[in-house]
Amino acid sequence: MILLLALLLMLLAFLGAPLFVIILGAAMLGFYATDIPLAVLPIEIYRLVDTPLLLALPLFTFAGYILAESRLSSRLVRLTQAALGWLPGGLAVVAYLVCALFTAFTGASGVTIVALGGLLLPALVQAGYKERFSLGLVTTSGSLGLLLAPSLPLILYGVVVQSMDLPISFSLRDLFIAGILPALLMIVLLSGYSLWVSKGDALASKPFDGRETLAAFLAMRWELPLPVFLLGGIYSGYFAVSEAAAVTALYVLVVEVFIHREVSLRDLVRLSRDAMVMVGGILLILGVSLAFTNYLVDAEVPQQLFAWISSYIESRFTFLILLNLLLLVLGAILDIFSALVILTPLIVPLALQFGIHPVHLGIIFLANMQIGYFTPPIGMNLFIASYRFERPIGELYRATLPFMLVLLVALAIITYVPELSLYFLDAPPAK
Amino acid sequence: MKPLPKALIYLHRLEDGALIFALLVMLGTAVGQILLRNLFDTGLMWSETFLRVLVLWVAMLGAMVATREGKHICIDLLPSALSGALQAWCRALSALFAAALCFVLAYQSLTLVGYEWEDGTLAFARVPVWVCQAILPFGFAVMGVRFVLAPFGLRRQSR
Repeated sequence: MILLLALLLMLLAFLGAPLFVIILGAAMLGFYATDIPLAVLPIEIYRLVDTPLLLALPLFTFAGYILAESRLSSRLVRLTQAALGWLPGGLAVVAYLVCALFTAFTGASGVTIVALGGLLLPALVQAGYKERFSLGLVTTSGSLGLLLAPSLPLILYGVVVQSMDLPISFSLRDLFIAGILPALLMIVLLSGYSLWVSKGDALASKPFDGRETLAAFLAMRWELPLPVFLLGGIYSGYFAVSEAAAVTALYVLVVEVFIHREVSLRDLVRLSRDAMVMVGGILLILGVSLAFTNYLVDAEVPQQLFAWISSYIESRFTFLILLNLLLLVLGAILDIFSALVILTPLIVPLALQFGIHPVHLGIIFLANMQIGYFTPPIGMNLFIASYRFERPIGELYRATLPFMLVLLVALAIITYVPELSLYFLDAPPAK
Repeated sequence: MKPLPKALIYLHRLEDGALIFALLVMLGTAVGQILLRNLFDTGLMWSETFLRVLVLWVAMLGAMVATREGKHICIDLLPSALSGALQAWCRALSALFAAALCFVLAYQSLTLVGYEWEDGTLAFARVPVWVCQAILPFGFAVMGVRFVLAPFGLRRQSR
């Protein structure tokens, strides 16, 4: 009976019922099967109020929506192009850096491809890069930077893990620090690949123009301090993350609406509504999965899962391989926020048993999700790029494939060299 | 598609307004708290809890609007692959299911609010917990109604 209902629930998920309803249904089913009154549901959902750090999520989302609406993307491309474009093969490196920064601040919602890709693709082709390569580059870069603060998925992972009762504690700051080297590794490997691929091409590199660089620098004078004081504040521990979010949101609001005047008040009303609709959708999923997770813990599902898995797998090595495979597949199907909220409570206890530090796990998780964004056949960014650049989806499959292989190499290194994520951490690594 | 009745349009504007207002109050309080702490070395005792409750309210209001606009996150694999009539049936079925669960949750939340009302515990300052929770039954009931209405809206569109 219970099994039948569970199957029905899965069917409804594929029929397009909202994900929060499916998780809610699963929680109800679980509580019903274990004779727990459904009255606990609202109590669990109300626990959102006790979840620390949650405040950072709406505020950073709001700031990201404003930045995406402004003309920050073109200023950013102009400055980096002027400052780094003279390097041989510099433009590709510029593209990776700019996309990573932009994605970290605006979230990997596809806005990087829409806003930056439109500027970078013609620039790359004009500079002499092959068309297919350029297309693959901008599509891949759409999710680069997920591992850098203050990206929303990174914060959400921290929030979800902290709402669990774990023997190892860590702060969001630890998570932010852990993401830096892995993100750099990805950028370095991608840049190396780009240099290697395009070494035969006659690339136009502009001579360095001091005046243009200065002008581009001045055009960004209001936005440049943002990453400095935000990241400096967070990394040094001067700001709590939610405080940094509040300051960032206010600063961005003042700069883009009142100083640059690129976002009108009418735009502001629309985008703040849209931003909060997205936040509401995510937090509702988080709320119902607090209830569902509570059921899982009560029913000792993680322990059973571990007992079952460890009867097949003994080594951490194999566990990590399977984890990567699972996450790559799910990353292509599920959207990143739902995947984080649903899977983290299941995977973290398992990983702890295998001696994987939760901070390292978070980085592995997001690195997988980042690749999932452009995994054929249904990675979201493939469709966004196909729509934005008016190319058939098949062409994008072929264009992104080599980049995906490069990132898979990066993923393997990130997975099997925990020091890359944990080296700068104060917290002692899990044994 | 028939134009919406005037009253409904105003109601939607009111809802949007409440959502944006809640966001601005959240931003203002959070920034104010930082200023008070750093400049005057004081703080408001209740602002921490108030902010956390506001996050819940923003979440529920946002989710209500998301329901109105069909913007909830879902795995939309099957319906988008199906043709017109079958697709409409899929969506209707899943919307009705969603409505049913929302109503159950609204009822359970209302019971919880009732208990808290009798209890009279304060959440922060002089605001009792039941006021903070009141958004739950209200929000889920509104979502339930919207899920019931959704299929009819779709059918009207597809004609």
